Amino acid sequence: MDPKLLYFACVLGAAAVYLALRPGKRGVRIAGSLLGLGVIAWMLLATPQLLSVMGGKPALAEGAARPGLMFAAFSLIAIAAAVRMITHDRPVYSALYFVLVVLSSAGLFLLLQAEFMAFALVIVYAGAILITYMFVIMLAQQAPSTDHTVGEAEYDVNPREPGIACGVGFILLAVLSNMAYGGVPQLKTADVPAAQRQAWQAMNLMSRDVEEMVADLMPGAKPAAGATIESAPGGAFITVRREGEAFDTRLPLPPEKLPSNVQQVGLDLVAKFPVSLELAGVILLMAMFGAVVLARKQIELGEDEIREAAGMRKLGFHAEESAEARASAPGGAR
Amino acid sequence: MIEALSHISLTHYLIVSAALFVIGLVGFLVRRNMIIMFLCTELMFQAAAIAMVAFSRFSLDVSGQVFVIFILTVAAAEAALALGLIVLLYRRRETLNSEAWSEMRES
Repeated sequence: MDPKLLYFACVLGAAAVYLALRPGKRGVRIAGSLLGLGVIAWMLLATPQLLSVMGGKPALAEGAARPGLMFAAFSLIAIAAAVRMITHDRPVYSALYFVLVVLSSAGLFLLLQAEFMAFALVIVYAGAILITYMFVIMLAQQAPSTDHTVGEAEYDVNPREPGIACGVGFILLAVLSNMAYGGVPQLKTADVPAAQRQAWQAMNLMSRDVEEMVADLMPGAKPAAGATIESAPGGAFITVRREGEAFDTRLPLPPEKLPSNVQQVGLDLVAKFPVSLELAGVILLMAMFGAVVLARKQIELGEDEIREAAGMRKLGFHAEESAEARASAPGGAR
Repeated sequence: MIEALSHISLTHYLIVSAALFVIGLVGFLVRRNMIIMFLCTELMFQAAAIAMVAFSRFSLDVSGQVFVIFILTVAAAEAALALGLIVLLYRRRETLNSEAWSEMRES
């Protein structure tokens, strides 16, 4: 698969999305969807051959046995659901298809051994953001008119300039995927021992976890005073002292005791990016204020109401009456 | 087929990410419903997150995953503000069509 074939695949993909976007004619849309799925499958299957042609090696370290089928399933579901999301007439269904995209990309994250991000994605995106979208979609839904055969609004059915948009989008895809094919084999592959060393070093910052790990590996032992995890080419060690003994012992640490993904992400977040974390909190706070201010209902107040809200006397004809009412009301003494 | 998929490389993930990004871009340009347009921007965020996690796995460095946390933050803030704006605009014109506001454009 040389670049010409890649461009051909992008043209086919653009045609597929264009066909799937056309209003009406169910058959045309289904044909477009099938064409698109075929293109994606072909591109995915053709990648290793292309890499071997270009002299590159598969870049990821060897992970679990045969993640390929899971990857193919998740990515096909994600891309198909994304296409369906932008082509569906009804906004509620679009949002539900986006939930499907989020779930399948959480699956991709699991394949990439980013467990924490996978679950955070499901909780934050599918659980919080999409529910907000659903609320607004249902809040802003127009009542379907009875004389209209289809219940959807006109602006949901007719796309705006699908041809130009598909052209622009898939030219971008051609450039991006060309870069991905050509640029990735030149990237430096990861140094696994160095990464492990770094992970052990990071673990030193979590003293309670180190104590727990030592107690787990050698019951009744505690890390010696000032002892840190030392990583050597043969593995990692820590100096420990057992209860009731006067000498220190060197305890080898098995690789399965490496810090988990959650520990690594959490430590990285607070150790490397503390200011960004604070800024993220400020951004969220400002977004909350902004949303409250924007969504507040604006009520036109008359002169009397404004004066009353400010705690001043009313001006109008009923000023005396309301003053009497306020005086007679329980607890209304001023 | 299984033979071809036995080595999943960074390129695969980048291609999926690029495809999702482009689909989101096309959707943003094509759809006229304001809510769907913002949903498409969320799709583009998603694509960026996939690329970041793939790079993080590739270089065995968790900083990429930390950046996904910030992406989630920005996406949540953007959703809150955008939906507030959309509710406001819907109250004014009683429609979600973005072309109802086309007089705001230049010329």
